[in-house]
Amino acid sequence: MTFQDAVKKSIKQFMDGKMPKNLMEVSGGEVKYTPEYFDGFKKAMEEEGDAPEVEETTDED
Amino acid sequence: MKIDAPVPGANLLADTRNYPWHRPPDITDYDEAVSYMISRISQEEQAELVYSLLQIDTTVTTVVSGLLMQSIAKGKMPIDLAILISGPVARYIEVIAQTNGYKYDMGTDTSDRVKITPTLLKMAMGIVEDDEEEEMEATPEVVTAMPEGGLMGAPTDADKMTATDEEQASMLGMNADSEEPVEEENIDGMA
Repeated sequence: MTFQDAVKKSIKQFMDGKMPKNLMEVSGGEVKYTPEYFDGFKKAMEEEGDAPEVEETTDED
Repeated sequence: MKIDAPVPGANLLADTRNYPWHRPPDITDYDEAVSYMISRISQEEQAELVYSLLQIDTTVTTVVSGLLMQSIAKGKMPIDLAILISGPVARYIEVIAQTNGYKYDMGTDTSDRVKITPTLLKMAMGIVEDDEEEEMEATPEVVTAMPEGGLMGAPTDADKMTATDEEQASMLGMNADSEEPVEEENIDGMA
């Protein structure tokens, strides 16, 4: 399996509403960017026409 | 003579830790990695590139894998984390494309792929089954009609040029009634 294939599979799983099981266990179920979050994000974008605040990270390149 | 090639085993001694992906990654947390990618895509220059790529029928999957590959090459995140966050990143791009009315293709649909069947494999490998061979043998041979008429056409019964018995006998000089050959008269007494 190539990197592209793995990415494709991961995207498909996420689009089907599935989250990585082990990741959820490790993080104790406290993950911000879930499929539900993006459903809310989409709704907010459509209603307000503006994206909600996303936590900025500094790019030190 | 100067030999510039590495000595055997040089690869085992080389310090490859200078590559970013050989050092510990900067980001190891899922949410932090997604935030980093979203903030990258939100940058004006990067956003223009991403949505321009979508306009020229590049799939979201290809765009996301390219962006993640860059982050891995910079040592920002490990490969497995990049694969984990590819879903949220693709979804973010999809939402932005939908709300802004950009056309996009996720690239995860496999409906346009050619389905592999036993028949398709046999055709590809040139395998013909016995039943198919029998069918091929049973097929009657098509005989093309002989061309008739015209200069190159085969003669028909009506066109037969066989001479009658009398004609043949006369041609062979066997006919008693045949005329004796007339001596040609010398014209003006010339031989």
